[in-house]
Amino acid sequence: VTPSEGAAGCGRWSEMLESLLALGGLVLLRDSVEWEGRSFLKALIRKAALSGEQVRILGCEVSEEEFREGFDSDVNSRLVYHDLFRDPLNWSKTGEAPPGGPLGALRAMCKRTDPGPVTIAIDSLSWLLLRQPCTTVCQVLHALSHRTPCPGHSPAVEQVRVLGLLHEELHGPGPVGALSSLAQTKVTLGGTAGLDSAHIVFRRPRQRPIHQTQWFSVLPDFSLDLQEGPRLECQPHPDPYTSPVDPTTHLTFNLRLSKKEKEARDGLTLPFQFSSEKQQALLCPGQGQAASHIFYEPDAYDDLDQEDPDDDLDV
Amino acid sequence: MAAVATCGAGAGGTESMAAATSKSNVTSFQRRGPRARGTDSGGPRLVSIAGTRPSVRNGQLLVSTGLPALDQLLGGGLAVGTVLLVEEDKYSIYSPLLFKYFLAEGIINGHTLLVASAKEDPADILQELPAPLLDDSCKKEFDEDVCNKKPESDIKMKIAWRYQLSPKMEVGPVTSSRFGHYYDVSKRIPRELIETSKWHGFFLPEKMSSADKVECCSLTPGYMKLLHFIQNIIYEEGFDGSNPQKKQRNILRIGIQSLGLPLWGDDVCCSENCDSSHSLSKFLYILRGLLRTSLSACIITMPTHLIQNKAIIARVTNLSDTVVALESFVGSERETNPLYKDYHGLIHIRQIPRLNNLICDESDVKDLAFKLKRKLFTIEKISDALKWWSRRS
Repeated sequence: VTPSEGAAGCGRWSEMLESLLALGGLVLLRDSVEWEGRSFLKALIRKAALSGEQVRILGCEVSEEEFREGFDSDVNSRLVYHDLFRDPLNWSKTGEAPPGGPLGALRAMCKRTDPGPVTIAIDSLSWLLLRQPCTTVCQVLHALSHRTPCPGHSPAVEQVRVLGLLHEELHGPGPVGALSSLAQTKVTLGGTAGLDSAHIVFRRPRQRPIHQTQWFSVLPDFSLDLQEGPRLECQPHPDPYTSPVDPTTHLTFNLRLSKKEKEARDGLTLPFQFSSEKQQALLCPGQGQAASHIFYEPDAYDDLDQEDPDDDLDV
Repeated sequence: MAAVATCGAGAGGTESMAAATSKSNVTSFQRRGPRARGTDSGGPRLVSIAGTRPSVRNGQLLVSTGLPALDQLLGGGLAVGTVLLVEEDKYSIYSPLLFKYFLAEGIINGHTLLVASAKEDPADILQELPAPLLDDSCKKEFDEDVCNKKPESDIKMKIAWRYQLSPKMEVGPVTSSRFGHYYDVSKRIPRELIETSKWHGFFLPEKMSSADKVECCSLTPGYMKLLHFIQNIIYEEGFDGSNPQKKQRNILRIGIQSLGLPLWGDDVCCSENCDSSHSLSKFLYILRGLLRTSLSACIITMPTHLIQNKAIIARVTNLSDTVVALESFVGSERETNPLYKDYHGLIHIRQIPRLNNLICDESDVKDLAFKLKRKLFTIEKISDALKWWSRRS
């Protein structure tokens, strides 16, 4: 990576992370077995920590040492880690764990008195969804990201960002759909050979969602390096509507009329349109009628009896 | 005159008697009692509630949904005592607009509002209602719209002349502005209108304390609380006729946003075989019972695209009276289809109720699309093939 590229890359990745973090609310990171998301999550945490925010982490899947590994000391000093990995059910009863289990820990993170934007990272939401009912998790996440500001603080100051890591393959479409509808930003990690991609959907309330795909790679110090897309662009789907078959070929009627033909056509009176000439022709049956006669040959079955048939009835 | 004389000999003359004898050119039969006021004369006084009108088909009392085009499709309006279910579009961009139109119409007509939501604070929802379009400014809007559309829609169809006679969708403002108003989506409703109106809000996170986890009769606690709230309001304010009010009777407009989301505590969106699979059906059944016995109309938006079990969607449709589904083109392959170039989505009228009737007022047109212009939300028929051809040739 040449210095200029690196500098440009730095600017762009910080811009991208800024946009991800700027919207607030819930940022859902969906990863899978092939494209793991923890490194992306750590990159986001690093960015948030470096910009001076408080970062609180609810760690459930990996140990604290493993999570803090790779971060610089100044980043590490800003992280407040709630460890649920070592003792999730609080059997050792040391009194460190907050009451109410993991959701209680999350709710406790809600209540804080010092101002300033805060980022809460949950590693991972799948762990919570497997142990708690989905509705409760959704309610707590909603309360986290939309909490009413404490009296005395202006609403602009209280900005809470929740970064949640979700392993898509562990859940059915229901919980994933429910969390996606709750999230303001949804990042789906994927990629092709060697390159990771993040497909980002920004959902501002009551506006059309913005889709963005970004290719990146995560460096060992958890900074992001934005890449160009893969060299071989996959063939774009042939647009089925750009070149339709022209239906005007092989027609049995004439679509293009000459001027004289158009005039002749406009001069015709249509059979179902009632114009004044027709009205006159119907009202005054004149000269034409004398020439028209009706000829009828009675056949064998016709009864030409002129008597009233009702006379036969004995009524 | 003999009749007049016998009456006079009886119980003493009334004022009408005196009037009859004094006027020689008027009929001797005059109405007893106080003079009729205005045009609402007659024995029983006709109470007409602001913002309602009787249906031309069966006399059912109707309220406007806030969108005159939708009113036309539903047969004049939404019947009082019924539920309008709006199936939300995928990213929930356009269904909040229908919700807000309904509430804004209530404020303009002076109806009482009840707004329930688990996602947003009702006060915030009310702040974002669209501003009503005054008559002269809205006439200007429509005139410029009509001018822009003039050259294309004026194709005189000579052979297919029957289509010219088909009724056009009502896009412009109706002359009588007492039923169905137009709103400007780009502006907010003036605060004075909200402050002078009467509204009740139900925001679920505030009403639910974590202490009560009582599950009773398989109805989710959130739904139970909402039903109690609605019942209290209906009873206390006399919408069901329980407190005979001296003042004018009014309509209660109930708006429930995004029912069925996991935020309500209902896991119908989370799994296919959910524990509370009957909770939503029971809620709708009880709600409809409450509505039928009171002067209220309700709009519910529901994210049916998230509901996993299709049988529940069918049940919910059967339990609601009027069902309208919005399908937006955002993110689907229809976005690039030139047929739908001018529109933002399709609107499907899935069900119209048969109230005191054997037939319902279903519209003939099934292919309807909506478009959100800068200021207006319009619903139009897709005049597909004809327009497409006229542009190509």
